Amino acid sequence: MKPDEDPDAKVDPAVLAAARTPAVDEDDIDDSAYVSGLPGILGVIDVGIARIEALLLAIGVLAMAINTMANVIGRFVVGQSLFFSEEVNRALIILITFAGISYAARHGRHIRMSAFFDAIAPPMRKVLMIIIAVVTAAAMFLLTWYSVDYLIAQASRGRLLPALQIPVWWIIVWAPLGFFLTGLQYALTAIKNLIHKDIWLSTSTLEGYDDTAEEEV
Amino acid sequence: MAIGIFSVMIVLLLLGFPMMVPLIAGSLIGFVALFGGFGQLDTMVQQILGGIQPASLIAVPMFIFAADIMTRGQSANRLIDLVMTFVGHLKGGLAVSTATACTLFGAVSGSTQATVVAVGGPLRPRMLKAGYKDSFVLALIVNSSDIAFLIPPSIGMIIYGVVSGTSISELFIAGIGPGLLILILFSIYSYIYATRNNVPTEPKSSWRERASAVRRALWPLGFPVIIVGGIYGGIFSPTEAAAACVLYALLLEMVVFREMSFKQLYATAKSTGLITAVVFILVGAGAAFSYVISFAQIPQQVLGAIGIDQMGPYGVLFTISIAFFVGCMFVDPIVVILIFVPIFAPVVQAVGLDPVLVGTIITLQVAIGSATPPFGCDIFTAIAVFKRPYAEVVRGTPPFIFMLLTVAVLLIFFPQIALFLRDLAFNK
Repeated sequence: MKPDEDPDAKVDPAVLAAARTPAVDEDDIDDSAYVSGLPGILGVIDVGIARIEALLLAIGVLAMAINTMANVIGRFVVGQSLFFSEEVNRALIILITFAGISYAARHGRHIRMSAFFDAIAPPMRKVLMIIIAVVTAAAMFLLTWYSVDYLIAQASRGRLLPALQIPVWWIIVWAPLGFFLTGLQYALTAIKNLIHKDIWLSTSTLEGYDDTAEEEV
Repeated sequence: MAIGIFSVMIVLLLLGFPMMVPLIAGSLIGFVALFGGFGQLDTMVQQILGGIQPASLIAVPMFIFAADIMTRGQSANRLIDLVMTFVGHLKGGLAVSTATACTLFGAVSGSTQATVVAVGGPLRPRMLKAGYKDSFVLALIVNSSDIAFLIPPSIGMIIYGVVSGTSISELFIAGIGPGLLILILFSIYSYIYATRNNVPTEPKSSWRERASAVRRALWPLGFPVIIVGGIYGGIFSPTEAAAACVLYALLLEMVVFREMSFKQLYATAKSTGLITAVVFILVGAGAAFSYVISFAQIPQQVLGAIGIDQMGPYGVLFTISIAFFVGCMFVDPIVVILIFVPIFAPVVQAVGLDPVLVGTIITLQVAIGSATPPFGCDIFTAIAVFKRPYAEVVRGTPPFIFMLLTVAVLLIFFPQIALFLRDLAFNK
């Protein structure tokens, strides 16, 4: 190739421009910018719950990391595993999962296959979104009910975790809470779609915000 | 009942429900039909909770956390520079570098999405500038990132291992052979592509530059050493290796490179927690689903209906391959693993297939399916990351899918590609 030949000339300039813009990063969720789907005092409570969920997620992961690392260090350096390590992780993974499903519902982050959904015309898509939110909320509330059942059964048996010596129901109490808050988020999403125009994937996530950003580039 | 459950699940999936809903609905119908009412639904909750508690699953959030820490730092660029200084000057060198960097970064992160962003992000502009067509570049990035699925640590393999009761350590080691074979094929294709399209080569690096690149890449290269070395040498279980990776990643980013503040650490932990929750609710719902379908003997019905008993080992492997490949063309790989592994479990056992080989084949098919149109999820990652239209992301994929399927067929007839290292490491 001749040294003075501009390599850019061969490529569509729009392609290059797009390629030069930095790839989308993890786009961390800014909790201080979160707006609840509920009005008034309920909204304040909801924002508070959102903050707590975020805190539990981060603390849960950090605690799990510390616990697991300490166990490894214990085994290799001191030659002894932490006898409670596995139970702590069991408790933490339940906490993370159930704090997280509600947090994910708030921010429209649950994994879904949206290819057909996206291809539908907007008015139908709004109807479908409402159906999805209502059915998902119903499923979550049903699971809330039966996880309370399960929780009560566990509590009445009074079983203790063998190493930690705390009641088993303490670590599963997050399940009904998580299911309930997730159901609530989907119910609110359905309401948001009913009373507002546009299509809302969650109470705070408007569908297709990516497209507008792209056109501005 | 089987047909009813599966049709409901497919409809819910395709309508765009969050993927936990089809799994929950499938188990709900199963529980209600099986136990004649809602009386046993607390058992379903018990299964969901039980499904997320196995100790080996802790490796998943820990590997995600380590990768999340590293992806924000400099490790991807350091690995790219390392590969570039050594092969960049060859014909098709940039493309070969991209594939190799994806493989190396896969060994650091274990996530295809992270690999697309971390390696594809910086390398795509360079390849476009050098004269590669965008369709080739996009297809190369998407498909090479899929090698990350096979190279340890692999989230898919951990979940397969837990669901099927297979050794995750053995799966990790078995994934290396096919992963490297794919890298070699992609490199050959890149060479042919560059030669035919007359893509100019990059200037050759001096040995001084190479030495400095090696020095800079030494730190991130510690990850494969910890993971592969630790597991290969029998020092670490996968969960311990994952914890060691977190420790190492924290040391690198907070002490050595000093690029991460405590505030960023908090944000990283939160994002890891979110990804973990979204995956684990699927794992839990999948466990409930798996419990109810095995209780109702649905796997036997399904397998009987497709006449798998008469197929022999090769027939079974081909059937499994096709099922996972097609499944992942539509749905997230983790969901496919959660639904299909318990269905095929009885026949894998009956035919006497090595579950590690089956796991490797499944992981490969999952990787291929994820990059295959119409709905392979990696295609949509690439669309989101690079903001290019669907048609363009998909256009260059056929040669890559052809190569990947070739590896898949080779793996079925020559299982030693996967099992050689495994046998060596675990003295089988």
